[in-house]
Amino acid sequence: MMPNRFRLSTLAFLAPAVIGLLVFFIGPLLLNVEVSLREQGGGHGLAQYLRALGDAYYVKVWLQTIVLAACVTFFTLLFGYPFAFAIARSRGPVKGFLIFLIVTPLLINVVVRTFGWMVVLGRSGLINGTLRAFDLPTINMLGGWFAIGITLVHVMLPFMVLSIASALEGIDQALEQAALTLGAKPAAAFRYIIWPLSLDGVITGTLLVFSLSIGSFVTVMLMGNNRTMVLPVMVYQQLNLSSDWPFAAALGMVLLVTVLVISGIQLAIGRRLRRGQA
Amino acid sequence: MNRWLKAYIALAAVFLLLPMALVVVVSLSSAQFVIFPPPGFSLKWFARVLQDTSFMRPLWNSIQLGLLSTIMAAMLAVPAAIVLVRRRPPGAEAIQTFLLSPLALPSLVLAIALLFFLSSIGLGNTYIGLLIGHVVIVLPYLLRTVLAVYSASDPRIEEAAYTLGANPWRAFWRVTLPAIRPGLFAGGMFAFLISFDEVAVALMLSNASNMTLPVSILGYLVNNYDPAVAAISVIKMAIVVVVLIAVEKFYGLGSLTLPQRGGTASHG
Repeated sequence: MMPNRFRLSTLAFLAPAVIGLLVFFIGPLLLNVEVSLREQGGGHGLAQYLRALGDAYYVKVWLQTIVLAACVTFFTLLFGYPFAFAIARSRGPVKGFLIFLIVTPLLINVVVRTFGWMVVLGRSGLINGTLRAFDLPTINMLGGWFAIGITLVHVMLPFMVLSIASALEGIDQALEQAALTLGAKPAAAFRYIIWPLSLDGVITGTLLVFSLSIGSFVTVMLMGNNRTMVLPVMVYQQLNLSSDWPFAAALGMVLLVTVLVISGIQLAIGRRLRRGQA
Repeated sequence: MNRWLKAYIALAAVFLLLPMALVVVVSLSSAQFVIFPPPGFSLKWFARVLQDTSFMRPLWNSIQLGLLSTIMAAMLAVPAAIVLVRRRPPGAEAIQTFLLSPLALPSLVLAIALLFFLSSIGLGNTYIGLLIGHVVIVLPYLLRTVLAVYSASDPRIEEAAYTLGANPWRAFWRVTLPAIRPGLFAGGMFAFLISFDEVAVALMLSNASNMTLPVSILGYLVNNYDPAVAAISVIKMAIVVVVLIAVEKFYGLGSLTLPQRGGTASHG
């Protein structure tokens, strides 16, 4: 009995998952679009979008959201690459330990990790407690972009490291050995061999981290203040405090389209980089 | 590894572990507030949290929701994975991308969309609604792992079962299921942890009686800043670490997180 490509059972096996997602994933998204187009008085139109894009405050919040996600992505790449390199180059128990080190935080709740950073940075936290012990003036580091940024880099680092490490794992070390044997300096070997071959992982990692950090709201909600407003927190507030469904839906759509457009741009840049290296 | 990389890794390890280590220290504090260094140590915050139904009920809710959504997602993902890998029906690639697509969406957008949708069909603020939301969230994680493990298994063992006269049901039960069991197990653990940790959808869809633990910790933290949060966080971390060790023991973290070409997975 060889498998037949067009059997009824094929459909029956796929149907539950596909229909489930059509109803409870695509359905809600379509409804979200409809809700965002609702206008006072019952008609449909672009009023909510014009309201969001016509107000300097909302535009500023939108830009802050993008800049925050871009900065977090940049710093996780900067700090994550060497870590990924260490994972790819180590063997045995050391590798196991490094993977455990990077995976464990991934599975600890973002609320808990934000709380952890509040303990590090807070008024009576680790850093200020240490400063006080040496009779130095204390610094209030909570309630601003610095605290939000460092926490988000901590939250996102594992995603970047794992993406890059899996690309680095695939590089044949003989290539680098050959370059070094032929007299290339280590920096040149990195520039012309390792970096181009790891680009796939870098692209995957930056895409993932950017889209995760642009949508994150717990950290900003707990550590931020009025100045550090970002789109996801605003969506939440419109929904829970103002009960303004259409506006929340429209802001959600702005967030979604922003993620999709910027991810598209990142992919295009990645493709060009890869072609340039080839 | 050269000296600089070693030094960097040591720094990174401190950065990665510091906040978690501090949460543990604070949970053992005897002070009424979060203060560093703690004036003394005691287990009183654990005692308080373990007696507090506003933490214990959400903890139980989270465990239940994680198990239920994982089982339901597995019932959807396994048949789909079998067909997608072995029969390769027309459009298999597109269907696979579609089934994994919830991963690409900011979870807050999915959360508000689900809130609108579920309330419009009368399931707003119900347990069923919350469960549906979590099945949508964990399905892609589970499917991805099962697909990876099943693709790597040899199709000839199933053909052999058929040749030897097994009916499809028996072949599934005796041959296919054992082949995907590691993936199903690891993917299931992973799915459970995703659900156990998920904030956005749970925040939008849960109510006072079915609230999950992350939502209750978040709500507490918005208004309070005391070692009780640390104590409940440590309990939560302990559960996660136990599950993580189980995954590692049965399957290996490396193979779960570092998708590699064929063969030898690094057991981390």
